[in-house]
Amino acid sequence: MGPGRCKIGGVTSPTAPVATTGYPWPIETTRLANGLRVVVSEDRTAPVVCVNLWYDVGSRHEPPGQTGFAHLFEHLMFEGSEHVKKTEHMRLVQGNGGSLNATTNPDRTNYFETMPSEHLELALWLEADRMGGLVPALTQETLDNQREVVKNERRQRYENVPYGDAWLRLLPLLYPQGHPYHHATIGSMEDLNAAALETFQAFHQQYYAPNNCVLTVVGDTTGAEVFALAEKYFGSIAAVPDIPPAPDGTLPIPAGAASRETVTAAVPAPRIYLSHRTHPFGTPGYDAVTVLATVLGNGRGSRLYQRLADGARIAQPDYIGSYGVDLAHAPAPLIVTATVKDGVPLEKLEQGLSDVIRSLVDEPISSDELNRAKALLTTAWWRTVSTVGGRADTLGRYTTQFGDPAAAADRLPRWQAVTVEDVTEAARTLLAPESRVTLIYLPEENQSEDTQPEEAA
Amino acid sequence: MSLITTRPGPGPARPYTFPAVRRLTAHGGTVIAAHLPGQILASSALLLDASAARETEGREGTATVLAKSLEEGTRKRDSAAYALALEGLGAELSASVDWDTFRVGVAAPVPVLTDAVRLAAEAARTPLLAAEDVIRVRDDEVTALRMDWAQPGPRADAALRSALFGAEGRYRRPLHGDPTSVAAVTVEDVLAFHESWMLRPGVLLVAGDLDALDLDALAEAAFAGTSGEPLEQAGPLGVPVPPARRTVLVDRPGSVQSTLRLGHRAPERATPDYVAMTLAATVLGGAFTSRLNHLIREVKGYTYGIRGSYAMTRRAGRFEVAAGVQTAVTAPAIRDTLGEISRTQLEGVTEEELEVARSWRAGQLSVEMQTPGAIAGALASLVVHGLPDDYYETLRREYLEATVEQVSEAAARHLTVDGLTLVVEGDGAVISEGLAEFGDVVDAEV
Repeated sequence: MGPGRCKIGGVTSPTAPVATTGYPWPIETTRLANGLRVVVSEDRTAPVVCVNLWYDVGSRHEPPGQTGFAHLFEHLMFEGSEHVKKTEHMRLVQGNGGSLNATTNPDRTNYFETMPSEHLELALWLEADRMGGLVPALTQETLDNQREVVKNERRQRYENVPYGDAWLRLLPLLYPQGHPYHHATIGSMEDLNAAALETFQAFHQQYYAPNNCVLTVVGDTTGAEVFALAEKYFGSIAAVPDIPPAPDGTLPIPAGAASRETVTAAVPAPRIYLSHRTHPFGTPGYDAVTVLATVLGNGRGSRLYQRLADGARIAQPDYIGSYGVDLAHAPAPLIVTATVKDGVPLEKLEQGLSDVIRSLVDEPISSDELNRAKALLTTAWWRTVSTVGGRADTLGRYTTQFGDPAAAADRLPRWQAVTVEDVTEAARTLLAPESRVTLIYLPEENQSEDTQPEEAA
Repeated sequence: MSLITTRPGPGPARPYTFPAVRRLTAHGGTVIAAHLPGQILASSALLLDASAARETEGREGTATVLAKSLEEGTRKRDSAAYALALEGLGAELSASVDWDTFRVGVAAPVPVLTDAVRLAAEAARTPLLAAEDVIRVRDDEVTALRMDWAQPGPRADAALRSALFGAEGRYRRPLHGDPTSVAAVTVEDVLAFHESWMLRPGVLLVAGDLDALDLDALAEAAFAGTSGEPLEQAGPLGVPVPPARRTVLVDRPGSVQSTLRLGHRAPERATPDYVAMTLAATVLGGAFTSRLNHLIREVKGYTYGIRGSYAMTRRAGRFEVAAGVQTAVTAPAIRDTLGEISRTQLEGVTEEELEVARSWRAGQLSVEMQTPGAIAGALASLVVHGLPDDYYETLRREYLEATVEQVSEAAARHLTVDGLTLVVEGDGAVISEGLAEFGDVVDAEV
């Protein structure tokens, strides 16, 4: 037995290695005259390259009556631009061996494609064309079609799935009317139906500007090559002055009052979601919440699993856990969820969840529990950055949200520096029942009954 | 200054290589390892000839219950101690079952991979399997399946499987069983399955930085205490096609979408037509620009996405189109889908479409195989289908060299509109009348 070994659960095991940096690859950056920030991280291991763009616009920017617009707009970005015909974008990426996608969340919209590296220039050309030349190609027909696609996405992901609308229901309980996180990114059917072409043209002109974007390229290329290509393809796109910020997301934490909603719906078993507003992603407070969520509800060794699925056996083992949602512009939510086992009263599980959360304060976690959580977070971190796509998105995030791609290297060491006291303090200050959002799903007694949301406190 | 109008051509291509593969026979078993220099994580999987196909009639789901019982304690330590030991390494066990293998996988930072594999083998070879634990896991699995089956999809999948593989014994029931068959699984079934199939050495797959990994130590960790020779393999099941098209309705009252599963049988993975079939399916329903996605999503707006593909295992294969479509357009969506399948079967593919499919499939080999986990998955295919170590280079070349004639011929041979089974899971009260245009509608027994 050598150094780096410790006792875990009564048996001797080696501990996972501790990292001093979470980003052991080179990072080069530049900024074009039009404000476009360019980040490059060279890695010659495989003949692939990822191009990733973070636009600093998400559903938090949407005014009332335009919910879902940032995400619907993301769809329109795949439907052709000034020199790229409709359907050609997908054909050119896939037809040259690439994988691509885009996502929208409350904070931002990202677009990315991983390509065999000889097609790097093609990817940059496609991205520049839709940054600088989308509006001339945007038609009513395209908007109408993609509106239907998005409505189908809403049906498929949120409406036709048991518990599928939990996130849509939690947000308004966590964030007050008018807060940028109050409404869900998918938006309402009513707003989507009302979406007018001019709104989207204006949306693009306002937010899809080089000075509102970070271009990150990771993989089989060099900084010099990417900087030259970025200038060639993006350099002519004009900056947009005075881009309006999203509404201020500042909110007190913890929330001042508890709230509760009970939904009767076509679900197979009663389920509980508990949630709290915590700190914004990127703060030391949220690092403690990330470790806390892992101690509490990630894996079979977590407190929730050990005490409620394995110990008391009142929760279904496949459907219990806790996690933070990594939002950066306002207090981010921690979500705890569990589904009752057959024959167990809902109240018993709710009490059990409440007790386990409380236990983080009353029975401070052991060093074994803390080390287990850090080891799992370490593996998760390395898994995220094991692909050029994961690395590019990480660098884009840290550049957009914290102004510095190199800050990505700090997250893992910061998780590893979280102490037992930090977790206890986070539980004590953030997770009290007085600030808790509770969302309960109950199965319908008979199938004819409709969804009946109860009024929240 | 303005945007560059001309699309740039490709730069010089870097040659494609699959990571160097190393094989080692030691401690009674075989290690197959891929070298990923510099990777911080490594992935490993024990591949055992203990697939769902080895389950007994009426007890489908036995292997899945076993997989979920492995972490309920071993002969060395109880479940809580096991979870802390494994997760303390940052590792998580994934035990999974498919039609060809039972797979016990673990990923961990390179310096602790051998310890993680030793723990994985401890669970796979010497699980405690206490009666009360197995019963509880089984009951939880029944509940989990009920939860899963409340989602759209699993019942439709089961109905299609039953229609396509009705005469093929184990293959006619879902991979993980159904709530009824899992409820019938006994402690004795699970113990017998473990005793019969889990104690041969099997194959250990390793993907990681081999300069920092000791393959002999990994072999010792994986194969300790095992014995026995590899089992004989049964032959392919063939490709029977029904005499006429069938429509099966799975009722889901109030559903805002109809879940479509349209399929027929196809050859097993070893078919010499594999590359041509894969490319034909890519043109029809694989790529985003595929015929089906273009028409049903992009032109008609009926769906969020639609896919058509072949799934091929060691003994059997099937073609399937899967989609969720708005309830009101269920019949038109099916009509259009059949039209595209028929057109592909009768007229084949065009060079322009095939060029996309070729480059995409070839490029995906490098784009999608970056992580140790993905490489370990690729190694598993080599083992299961008896493929050579240089297979992925060959596959890439075959994709790039496939001709319109070869792919069109494969579409003609391996697609049939008349032999399709149409499974539709949706609001029967609203959609059954419209389904009549496709022939008699039968209610599913799921």
